[in-house]
Order: sequence, then structure tokens, then C-alpha cells
Amino acid sequence: MRAAVSSRFWEFARPYAPSYALGLLMLLATNGLSLWIPWLLRDAIERLEEGSPLAEIARLALAMAGIAILQALIRTASRLQILGNSRKIAHDVRRRFFAHLLRLDAPFYDVNRTGDVMSRGVNDIRLVQAFFGPAVLNLLNTSIVYVAAVALLLSIDPLLTVVSLTIYPPLMLAVNRASRRVYARSLAVQEQLATISNRAQENISGIQQVKTYVQEEREIAAFRELCAEFRRRNMSMAALRGVMLSLIGIVTGVGTLVVLYVGGRFVISGRIGFGDFVAFNAYLGLLVWPTIAFGWIINTFQRGLGAMERLDEVLVAVPRIDSGFDADGKQETVAEPLAGHAIEIRDLTFTYPGAAAREPALKNLNLKIPGGSRLAVVGPVGSGKSTLASLLARVYDVPSGSITIGGKDLRDLPVRAWRRSLGYVPQEPFMFSRSLRRNVTFGDPDAEAAAIDRAVERAQLLKDLDQFPDGIETVVGERGFTLSGGQRQRATLARAIVVQPSLLILDDALSSLDADTERSVMRGLDELMRKRTAIFITHRPSTLTEMERIVVLDDGRIVEEGSHEELLALGGTYARIFERQKLRQDLEDR
Amino acid sequence: MSDSDARGKIYDARMMRRLWGYIRPHRMLVSASLVLLFAVSGAQLVQPYLIKRVIDDQIAAGRMDGLGYLALLFLAALLAEFVLRFAQIYVLEQTGQNVVFDLRNESFAHLQRLPSSFFDRNPVGRLMTRLTSDVEALHELFTSGVVMILADLVKLVGIVAILLWMDWRLALVTFTVIPPTLILTWFFRARMRETYRHVRAMLTKLNIELQENVSGMRIVQLFAREREMAESFGETNREHEQAQLRGVRYDSIFSALAELIGSVTLAAIVWAGGWGILEGWVTFGTLVAFIEYAAKFFRPVQELSQRYTVMQAAMAAGERIFDLLDTPVTIRSAAAPTPIHGRLKGEIVFDGVTFGYDPDQPVLHDVSFRIAPGERVGIVGWTGSGKSTLIRLLVRLYDIQAGRILVDGVDIREYELAELRRSIGVVLQDHFLFAGTVENNISLGDSRVTREQVRAAAEAVHVHRLIERLPGGYDENVRERGSNFSTGEKQLFAFARAIAFDPAVLVLDEATASVDPETERRIQQALTTVLSGRTSILIAHRLATVRDADRILVLHHGRLIEQGPHEALLDRPDGIYATLYTLQSA
Ligand SMILES: Nc1ncnc2c1ncn2[C@@H]1O[C@H](COP(=O)(O)OP(=O)(O)OP(=O)(O)O)[C@@H](O)[C@H]1O
Ligand SMILES: Nc1ncnc2c1ncn2[C@@H]1O[C@H](COP(=O)(O)OP(=O)(O)OP(=O)(O)O)[C@@H](O)[C@H]1O
Ligand SMILES: [Mg+2]
Ligand SMILES: [Mg+2]
Repeated sequence: MRAAVSSRFWEFARPYAPSYALGLLMLLATNGLSLWIPWLLRDAIERLEEGSPLAEIARLALAMAGIAILQALIRTASRLQILGNSRKIAHDVRRRFFAHLLRLDAPFYDVNRTGDVMSRGVNDIRLVQAFFGPAVLNLLNTSIVYVAAVALLLSIDPLLTVVSLTIYPPLMLAVNRASRRVYARSLAVQEQLATISNRAQENISGIQQVKTYVQEEREIAAFRELCAEFRRRNMSMAALRGVMLSLIGIVTGVGTLVVLYVGGRFVISGRIGFGDFVAFNAYLGLLVWPTIAFGWIINTFQRGLGAMERLDEVLVAVPRIDSGFDADGKQETVAEPLAGHAIEIRDLTFTYPGAAAREPALKNLNLKIPGGSRLAVVGPVGSGKSTLASLLARVYDVPSGSITIGGKDLRDLPVRAWRRSLGYVPQEPFMFSRSLRRNVTFGDPDAEAAAIDRAVERAQLLKDLDQFPDGIETVVGERGFTLSGGQRQRATLARAIVVQPSLLILDDALSSLDADTERSVMRGLDELMRKRTAIFITHRPSTLTEMERIVVLDDGRIVEEGSHEELLALGGTYARIFERQKLRQDLEDR
Repeated sequence: MSDSDARGKIYDARMMRRLWGYIRPHRMLVSASLVLLFAVSGAQLVQPYLIKRVIDDQIAAGRMDGLGYLALLFLAALLAEFVLRFAQIYVLEQTGQNVVFDLRNESFAHLQRLPSSFFDRNPVGRLMTRLTSDVEALHELFTSGVVMILADLVKLVGIVAILLWMDWRLALVTFTVIPPTLILTWFFRARMRETYRHVRAMLTKLNIELQENVSGMRIVQLFAREREMAESFGETNREHEQAQLRGVRYDSIFSALAELIGSVTLAAIVWAGGWGILEGWVTFGTLVAFIEYAAKFFRPVQELSQRYTVMQAAMAAGERIFDLLDTPVTIRSAAAPTPIHGRLKGEIVFDGVTFGYDPDQPVLHDVSFRIAPGERVGIVGWTGSGKSTLIRLLVRLYDIQAGRILVDGVDIREYELAELRRSIGVVLQDHFLFAGTVENNISLGDSRVTREQVRAAAEAVHVHRLIERLPGGYDENVRERGSNFSTGEKQLFAFARAIAFDPAVLVLDEATASVDPETERRIQQALTTVLSGRTSILIAHRLATVRDADRILVLHHGRLIEQGPHEALLDRPDGIYATLYTLQSA
């Protein structure tokens, strides 16, 4: 796993390797210059001790300022390189991540919660960016400064160096230990925050249920409990963070103390000069930040590693169904019209990937759907109708050979081309929070105005448009929830019609329509469906008479099959389900 | 309530007063933290002075007798700094956490009371931001906001005073660096703020796009729209990257400049201090102490501007949170509510009810009808005619604009909201399952709903057998939005939920639309027992569902145009009901 993750880091960093190298060179230069300044300070103090003229001192001061300017220029450039790289890499990672999400299939989204995917795409990419930017920058900086400053300290006085530096390792260790535990506790804090988010998300998404069932008080109490735990965890982190920050605060002082006490003696005994003493203190001061930063750097690297691991989990997830979508856009397959192609299902058994313990949703299904025909699928709740529809659209994968289109295995057809020839109206209408127009033209943003109008009319949405403040430009609420149930269904129906599909699948897509609208919709589709294949999943008897063939599913099996009349004559499940005689009786009674 | 970072004023008196309301209960903690902050500054500021003493009194004088004593003092100052700072951080954090805890809970509680219309306008993601990021940003107000600014100011004043006291001439030379520092700082910070605001805006956009794609992925893929989605996302991503790079540019220049100013100050002190030493009005100790103080001096000056940014963000977040808290709870219980004694009888009267989601565009026009206690009423009508709206009004998810709705002869606005809703059980058309277990989805974890009730309800809607057959039975895992169940199953779970709560009035809005007729018929048989003695309202397009109702109301374009029992309605050949019925049976 680790190896895979590090190769993932390398994969993203490689394009920027030259830039990193350049940044490193500049860091060497700028730090060399900045280390020169205390040396000049030492010179100045020595001159002062000797009583040199002020001009001499002024010259040194000027040199300090000059070096400072040069150093600042190079520093800026070095940061631009390295930090800039991290932003570009974050961009690349985000792009890759999103492109991969578009390729992942239903089994992935079945088991991964939206919030979880979001958190990877938001927080983890941020952490990876910190890894590639500030962490790398500080690591390089710290290493350079440490090596150079220690060398300079040694050149001033080896003994003093050893004495004053002995304080640092334990301090560094303590800071490091503290920061590692802060990290562990901050993870616990983050986890709790995620729990709070999830809870709030569920609550707000289901707010209507909360209200109608008067669960507000219970929800508030539960939320409060989560927040209390959050506060507890935060405080437990604050205690450690307090120790760490206070430790960091006195690191400089501790070094100074040693220099004062030991270095002071050395100056008095004449072992080192006063200028050395001041410069020594200054160099020691330069070590403070790297010492502190060390813990932070390790931390950031660790968190970046963890984040990349979580991103990698998504990136390595292989969709069972290769949709052929490729973000870099090479071969874009064109949909060939599939009108007239027969669909054949042979001995299809299907169990949902995430529900192996449950019974198969479809069992030994055999079915032939001639090209251009109309098929109705009926059956009780949970009998596998939607499952069958989603398998035809290749939302989930099926054993090879179990579904063929025009004699070709569905698995061998280019997925996106196949889907492009579909018009799918899912049982639960999902709409994007955009204008109605953009929802309707979702499958074909370039659709002509006339085509849009026709689709809207066929879906019987036209008369509803007048009721909306901005007509077809009205922006619908999240998931389309500001429309009535039937309006939402018809909008998704229009969306499917716009793409001019050769196979139309309506999964109970008229369930929220009244009989009149339903009739009009069917009439509108009638014309559209000439020479196209259509599969209607329905619980409504009224649509069934127009179907060429009807299959009845029960418990994942086909139990009856035939035309409407045949099935009625059979007097089996179908006849029982649809009470046909009864209804007719009613009419005759009038 | 927009997400744009309103260019928050750093200091807003009105808001500060409000915040103070939350801080007040913890004011002892705040005061303690302030005292500790002063003490920390003191312990810090004494250190350079001790260095000066060591250099002037000991090193320059060539003595060692007081060195140990001074070093000990220095050590004491360090230890004091360590301990005091720890205490200060801890105390401040405690305050911040307490305040944030209160605010978060209050926001959540307020959210629970806001009317449905509020949720129509505000996407889940935005409200989530209020409860998480915004509250966290406000938290920063404590950890690095007001109190810290105060501390920085105190420290600055302290340093200025000490420097002036040690040597005013050298001090003045040192201070000459302040104006350019301030100018540069504000110049860059202003630009950085602008850039970061843009970065944040782009990030929000990225996240919204991500969220929408993840929740609508099935549709994106079914319509093979991956390329368009990737392109649109790519554009935002690129814009975000550009903004980020601009931020990096300012950031790099600024931090290099900060370092530059420090070095230039050092050069100035060396030059002026050297002059003073040569002329005898500055000691070596003073020179070194100045160098030390100057280093400590620039930290707060630079940080001040950073804290400003934090403050600004916190203020903007605070404003958004208070905006939420200020959103009026338009639907609430009456001041002196009429209590419901025992069970509602269940008489429902709509009297001239007019309502529009947008008051200018009514969806219901002057609707009047009466439902007798125990009556079973069906409501039918064209899609979009206002049926669901009708029942949303009955449980006051929205309040009407004209007319009255009476339950048991009392205006529903007179009741305690919770009592009203508990008495009227509604199966909404948009059924919703929570992530959890099947059992939990029926009982909602409410202790008033017993296990037996859950099972009885499941029996009534004919899902008990189905649930029992699941590997986990009633404990079977339900995924987000119930995605691992068929639509009909979800609908039946939601139906069972309503029955398990045993309300006096039961309202079913297309509760069995996705259920096959056979199952529905069986449910109806079971329902006869369940519904007996209760008022019930059934909304359905499938007329078989409502046929057996005592009376059927027909809604058309928001008006009630027909009503009566099935047979009576069928006898009007031009009637809408008769038309619909003919169509459905043909
Ligand atoms: N939350 C909302 N905000 C704004 N308008 C809404 C909202 N909900 C519904 N509407 C509009 O109010 C009208 C009536 O909607 P309602 O949901 O009551 O219809 P319905 O009779 O239940 O239809 P259906 O049979 O399709 O469910 C529709 O035009 C719809 O677009
Ligand atoms: N994502 C899933 N993971 C696991 N099981 C599932 C999933 N989706 C559906 N099922 C189960 O598979 C079976 C068939 O479901 P399907 O949605 O095909 O039924 P359906 O015939 O469409 O029913 P309905 O009439 O209620 O829409 C059901 O028992 C259901 O619980
Ligand atoms: Mg289904
Ligand atoms: Mg409705």
C-alpha cells in the first residue's frame, strides 16, 4: 500500500521535478545569503570593540541591507517555484480525482457515502497540497539552514556549540512527541466533526420527515450530545497543543540562556570575542524555526501521506464497467442507431454487489425483446423490475453472454455509445438544481429550440410552464424538490425524449400522473416510438393494452409472458393484479 | 443568505454586542485569559532586558559573580512564560469551545424550527456550511482573534516603552522602520485578502459542482455526459488554480519582504547603535537588547495584519450565522395554545383557503370543504393541481395566506404545533429514508414507538414478511436515502412509519403510487381495520386507491370543482372524475 502511495506522489510530482530542482538551487543561494548577515554583525561588533571609524560600521550596515535585498529577491523566486508547484499539483490531483469519479460505477457509489467522497475531494486534496508545497519547502529550507548554521556555530566555538545544542535534541523530541499526539487527537476531532456533519446532513435532507413526525427535540438533543463530545475532544487536544505551543515559545529562550551563561563565561575568560558571542546567539536563533518546524513538517508529511492514501483508494478503485470515458479525450465513440436491434436476455441471474447475503434480485431470466417492439414489465414490489432496467443500461455488470444486443454481447458494446442511444427515465426522478431548460437538455445541450419544444410538449410539461415564474428558465430546487411529483417525472421524461433514443426505458415514470396526462403522454410517445424499442415498467393497467408484449416478474423470476389478452385469458397473476374484469364491470354498470 | 464573503467589517458594534451575549456567561474565563496574556507578555519582555544586564554588568565589566543569578532569573522568566502560556491557551480554548458549542446548538435548534419555505430556498450544502465551516471560522475569533490582537497590542506598547526607556535616540531610529512595514503590510494584505476571497469563492464553486455530480452521478453516466461535466469542472478547477497562484505570488513576496525588513532594521540598529557606542551613549548590552526587541517587535506587527484577516473571515462567518439565527420562525405555536385533550376527533375544515408558494402566484384558490370525524376522503386531480400542497398546509409546513383551516373546530394556528403534527400522521409524496436500520426508519428511534408497534405497522402494509426475509431482518442496514431498497419498498417503509406512530388523522399522499395494485389491495384490506375510527385522507392518481373512500374531492388548477362518493361522481358524464375514470379503465 505504502509503495503504491509513494509512486502516486511521484506520478504527480514528476512533471514539476525540474521546477523543484530550480527551487532547491535558489533556496541554497538565498539561505547562504541570509547566513551571511550575522557574520557581518559579528564583524561590526568587532570593529566597534576596536573603535574603528563610523564609516566602517556604516559600510557593513549597508552591506547587510544590500545582501538582505538580494536575499529577498531570490527567496521570493524560490517560494514561487515550490509553492506554485503545489498549487499546480493540487489542480492535477483534483482533475484526476474528478475524472476518475466520472468513471466509477454504481457499486462504488452504493457503498461510499456522498459525504465521504466529498471529504476526500475537499479535505484530502488540501492536505496533499500542503505536502507538496509548504512541507517540501520547509524541509529543504530546514535542512539547508541546519547544516550551514551548525557548521558556522562549530567554526565559532565547538565546545559552546556542543553545549548549547545538547538542549535541542530533547526539546525537539518533546515538541515532536507532543505534535504527534496533537495530530492523533486532531484526527479524533476531525472524525467527530465528520460525524456531526453527517448527522446534520441527514437531518436537513430529511427535514420534512423530522417536522411531520415532530422529532425536532430528539434531533436537537442528539446533536447536542455530538457537539458535547466534539468539545471534549477539542479540549483534550487543546491541552496538548498548549504544551506544544508553550514549548515552542521558549525554544529560543533556552538557547539564549545557555549562550548567556556558558558563552558569557567564555567571553569573560577571553576564549571567544564579544562579536563571536553575538553572532553565535544569532545563528542559534536561526535554528529555532527549523527546530520547531521539524515537528510540523513531519506532521504535514504524515497527514499528506494519509490523505494520498485515501485519495489512492478512490483512484485505484476499478470500475467493473469501463464506460470508455477518458478525461484526456482520445477516442470518443459515436452512437450507432440501434433501432431494430433485438435484445436478448439469456439465463440472467443477478445479485447486487453490495448485498451478497440477500437473495439474487433476478433469477434465471430469459427474455427476447424484438427491435422496435414495445414491452411492458409488471410485477409486485421488489420483484426486480428496476434491476432489470438498470442492467439493460449497464449500470451494473452482468455475466458475459447473458444480455445481447443485436446478437452482440452487451459487455462488448462501447458503454457510452450504448447509453447514448438510451432514453432512461429512472423511477426516482433526479434533477440538478439548474433551470428547467438545462435539465431538459441535459442529455443534449446542443438540442435545437424546436426539439426542446417538442420534447416539452410530448412530456405534457408545456401547460405547467406557464405557472412558473420564469417559464422554462425557472431554476428548480435541490433534486427538483420545488416541483410537484408529477412535474418532476415529466421533466425527467422530457430529458429522455430530447436525446432521440433508440431504446426508451420508462421505470414507473408515469406513476405520479393522472389518467388524462398519462394518456396524453402515451399518445405523444406513440409517435416518437415508431420504429424504436420501448420498455415500460408500470403498475398502471391503462398503459398495458397498448403493449405488444407483457412480462410479469415475481420474486426475480418471469412468471408469465404474452400479450395483454393472452395474459388475461390465462387468468393468472397478471389477471389478478390488474382486476381488469372488475374495472370493466364498473364501467358497464354505469 | 448568500455564501459570498461579505466584505465583513472587522469590527461591527452590533455584532460584537451579540457575540458578547454568548461570551458573557464565560466572562470569568475571558478575564482570566486576559490576565494570563499580560503575564505572558511580561515574562517575554523581561528576557532581552536580562541579556542587556548580562552584557553590560557582567561581560563588559569582566565579572562573573552575578552571571549565575541573572541566568537563574532568565530561566525563571522562561518557565513562567511556559506555564502561563499553557494556562492562557487552555483557558481561552475553553471559552471558545463553550461559545461555539452554544452557537452551534442554537443554530441547529433554530434550523429545526424554520419553515419549509426556508429549506426550499437553501440547499443542504449551504446550511451544512453554516453549521460546520462558519462555526469553525467563528471559533478562530477566540484562538487567534480579538484576545490575541489585544495581546499583540499590549506587547507592542510594552516594547515601545522599554525601547524608549533604554535609549530614545536608538528607539527612534528603530521606529523609522514601522511606517514602511505598516504600509507594505496593509498593501499586501489587502491584495491577499482579495485573492483569498476569490480562492474561497472558487473553492465553494468546485465543491458545489463536486457534490452535485456525486449525487447525480447515475444520471450523468446514463446520459453519457461525463465529458461536459469534466469540462465544466476543469474550467472551475483552472480558475481556482489561477487564483491560488496569484495568492502564492503575494504570499511569497510578502514573506520575503517581512524578512527583508527585519534585516534592514538590524542594519539600521547596527549603524545607529554603532554610532552611539563610538560616541559613548549606547552600551553593547543596549545594542544587543535592541536587536532582540526588534525581532520580537516585528512578529506582532506582521501578525496583526494576519489576525485582521482572520477576524474579517470570522466576522463574515458570524454575520452569516446570525443571519440564520435571525431568519424568523414564521410558523410557530400560538402564544396560549389550545390543548388537545386525548385524541382528536378528526373533523377537518378548509374554509376559503388561498395559498401560493409565491404569494403573488396562488396555487390554491379559495378552497373550502369539510371532512367529518372518521370519514375517509380521497383527493384526486391533475398533476400539479395542488393536492400535495393541500396537505402540507394541513400540518403547517406552510401557512396559508387567506382563509382558515380548522381541526375539531379550532384554527390549526391555535394549537401547539407539535401536538397538531403528532395528531396528524402524513406520508409525504417524497418519501425519505435515513441511513440506519429498517427498524430505525419505522420508529425513527422514538421511544414511544415500541417494537411491537413497528412490527404491527409493517404487517399492516405487508412488508413484515419482506423484512423478515432480509438477512438482517429489522436490523438490516439501510443506506443513504435507502438506496439499497426498491422504490416500492421504501414507500412501504415510510407508510409503516406513519402507522406505527398511531395518529388520530392519517394522510397518505401517493403512499402507494409505486406499489403494485395487488399489494395495494391487500394493504387496503388491512387498512380498513387500521383506519376505522380515524379520519383519513388519501391522495392518489390511481383511482382504484380512492374508489372506496366515503367521498372524493376533485381538485383542478387549485380549485375544488367536484366532490361526492365514487358512484355519484361517475354519474356526471362530463365530470372530471368520470373522465379520468373512463381513461384509466379503458
Ligand atoms: N416547494 C415549492 N415551491 C414552489 N412551488 C411549488 C413547491 N411545491 C409545489 N410547487 C408548485 O405548486 C403547484 C402545486 O404542486 P403540488 O405538489 O401541490 O401538486 P400535486 O397536485 O401534488 O401534483 P402531483 O400530482 O404531480 O404530485 C405546482 O405547480 C408546483 O410546481
Ligand atoms: N442497490 C441495491 N443493493 C442491494 N439490493 C437492492 C438494491 N436495489 C434494489 N435491491 C433489492 O433488489 C430487489 C429488487 O429491487 P428492484 O428495485 O429491482 O424492484 P422493483 O421491481 O423495481 O420494485 P418496485 O416496484 O418497488 O420499484 C429488492 O428486494 C430490493 O430490495
Ligand atoms: Mg423499481
Ligand atoms: Mg403531489
